[in-house]
Amino acid sequence: MAFLSELVKKKWLFIGLLVGAGLLSAPTPEGLTPIGMRALSLVVVVFIFFVTEPIPLPGVALFIAIAQVLLGLEQPTIVAQSFMSDSVFFIMGSLMIATALVKQNLDKRIALAIVTVTGPRVDRIILGLVTCSALLASFIGEHTVAAMLLPVGAALINYTNRNWREIRNLSVLILLSIAYGAMIAGAGTPSGGARNAIMLAYWKKLFEVNMTYFEWMKFAYPMLLLEIPIISAILYYTFTPETKDLSHAVSALKEKVAESGPITSKEWLAIGIFMITVLMWMTISDTIGLGITALIGVLLFLIAGVVKWEDLNNSVNWGTILIYGGAISLGIMMKRTGVAEWLSHSFLAWVAPFGIHKGLPLLAAISFLTMLMATFMSSGATVGVLGPITLNIASLSGTSVIAAGFITVISSSFCFLTTTASPACNIIYGSGYLKKIDYLKAGWKLAIISFILVQIISIGYWRFLSI
Amino acid sequence: MKILMCTDGEEYAESAIRFGGRLAKEMSAEISVLHVRPPISPRNRVQLTTARKKLGEWNLEIPGVDALIRAKEILTEIGLTKTTPLEEEKVSQAFRIGVHGATELHLIGLKGELVRLRLREGHPVDEILEETDVGDYDLVIVGSRGHKEFSTRFVGSTALRVADLAVCSVLIAKNIKEDDDFLLCTDGSRLAEKAEITGAEMAQKLNASMTILSIAEDATLEKEEEARQLTRRAEMILAQMGIKANQKVRVGRPSEEIIDEAKDHDIVVMGSSGSSAVKKFFLGSTPLRVIEYGECPVLIVREKRGKISLQETTL
Repeated sequence: MAFLSELVKKKWLFIGLLVGAGLLSAPTPEGLTPIGMRALSLVVVVFIFFVTEPIPLPGVALFIAIAQVLLGLEQPTIVAQSFMSDSVFFIMGSLMIATALVKQNLDKRIALAIVTVTGPRVDRIILGLVTCSALLASFIGEHTVAAMLLPVGAALINYTNRNWREIRNLSVLILLSIAYGAMIAGAGTPSGGARNAIMLAYWKKLFEVNMTYFEWMKFAYPMLLLEIPIISAILYYTFTPETKDLSHAVSALKEKVAESGPITSKEWLAIGIFMITVLMWMTISDTIGLGITALIGVLLFLIAGVVKWEDLNNSVNWGTILIYGGAISLGIMMKRTGVAEWLSHSFLAWVAPFGIHKGLPLLAAISFLTMLMATFMSSGATVGVLGPITLNIASLSGTSVIAAGFITVISSSFCFLTTTASPACNIIYGSGYLKKIDYLKAGWKLAIISFILVQIISIGYWRFLSI
Repeated sequence: MKILMCTDGEEYAESAIRFGGRLAKEMSAEISVLHVRPPISPRNRVQLTTARKKLGEWNLEIPGVDALIRAKEILTEIGLTKTTPLEEEKVSQAFRIGVHGATELHLIGLKGELVRLRLREGHPVDEILEETDVGDYDLVIVGSRGHKEFSTRFVGSTALRVADLAVCSVLIAKNIKEDDDFLLCTDGSRLAEKAEITGAEMAQKLNASMTILSIAEDATLEKEEEARQLTRRAEMILAQMGIKANQKVRVGRPSEEIIDEAKDHDIVVMGSSGSSAVKKFFLGSTPLRVIEYGECPVLIVREKRGKISLQETTL
């Protein structure tokens, strides 16, 4: 029985492999080479695995490497090379820097900074939380910020009322502002999320577009800044808080922070090194690469002794690095074998009768597709699988590759509806304060507004930047 | 006897714990209180652990732990547990990780019995069933909120699925308030007989009055007489045990009649249905229908695999 239930749990593994075997033996459609057909089967199987997760995602990354060699798509050395690149260095370095920052007691400082600026009014605290969460996450990633700010939110809730169930709306409001704030910020700068590094890698390797850290911010940051007040307002009016004044909680929080004394020199050092790294990203990373710059930052942290290697070893999600390596490898393979182009052609042929073949309607369709997929699988995997296709569609139809890339990356962070799709939402959900339904209550409004907003930005602001 | 009580920290779960605690006290049962924390994708476990550690630095209890602490307060309130020095200690540190698949905090009951507070992580139904499996419990008490939430209609509530799938007896403590009037339902089957005995014993311990109910499916004289005989037989069995009970016969569809009659009583006791899984799937079973559509607490008595539950251990 135990064996059987284990089999049932793993059913998607078998279904995926069966579908793959079926595709392998199916006749090759027009416009696709036999090698392309094999590659397509692999893409479909990986897609099924990414959505259903019958094995842990890093395992899927291993599968990508193994299958490429076994199906004869690529030489082992080339596969290994496609797994590691400056973009993957960048993901690795960013994760390490984020870990080094979390190890400092900065959460208390941040909490103090927020309430000092906002004062005790709930609406202003919410705006403060969303802003802080978003700005931080745009540089160090949503995972880290959610983990850092969750205790701040929990402290505000608990200091307001020891029984948080009596102030459910306020609890939901505070925690969702942290989660959504961090989530939408993922696309703000290249270091905000690993999927951004994937997009950078695709642009560079597939279309020879070089995007610098600063240029990226120029395109993506305004969207983020616009989202902050919108999220705050919608959350505030969806979850009307039981009390509008948190003076008591704010003073309790200030007292708590005062216990830990003034900022230590070690904490200053950590902040300093982080600032230097961001500065280097903005200035010299065009020549030495984002990944190498991130590694310089990590090295400085280790030299200064503000983080121990053991901490990095234990707290970095090494699996994530593998997943993104695998996703990029798959993307490159899709382009090289012609699968991406064939899929793009098919997509365009399919949607052309609806008038969605160019410009805004096409970008809107890409955006919608990405949001839909990001709801069911991790945003990194979404960009990994979808990126080569959307970029190809754009280039075939004469739409800007850069606009299509940004639309894909930004839309992949709009997973307002479920607790599992975005890491920030998942971590906040894991605290146990929220129910799944809470994410739906405000999420659908935010999803629609964000979708419309990104289209407006793409026809207005981006066109103004002439892409 | 071992009782498992499940809490999600909501008010309805608290009244279930209050009832379970009183029952355990009267029966000198060992109890565990279980809370199931929502599942976390393994991808984010590293960060979540960091966040939880930070909560500890802020001296904050995470939800889940606070539901268990509340349960502990209730048990102390009814006088089930001794106050231990643990009270003063920081609770997050008093929890031990990895005791039979859960994080656990031990307390000592008034008569030396074990009181366990247990925390699991995952999907509620799966974890509760897993807990009943490893914990070898005789009775599971699950709170239920009634019909205020629409989502239960579609998904099937946790309570309903635990009632259907657990290997031991289950009490669905829906709207539980009083416990001084038991309704024992019988259909003459062996399981129903067991249910009567178990329910009667429980009612006796709690000093409650009892009514035996049997349903005639249509209004023919024959069927009604049959039903009346069933109640009489049940009454005799109870009389042998020295327990007095009222009798009642109703005519109609069993689940509907039980739900209607239950309005005048506090707790309904039924045997688990003997229907096969296939039949249950297409037709539903009477106990499950009563749980789903009724508004009263329901105790479903079940024979545990390889072991007779409840009454033998308490006699």
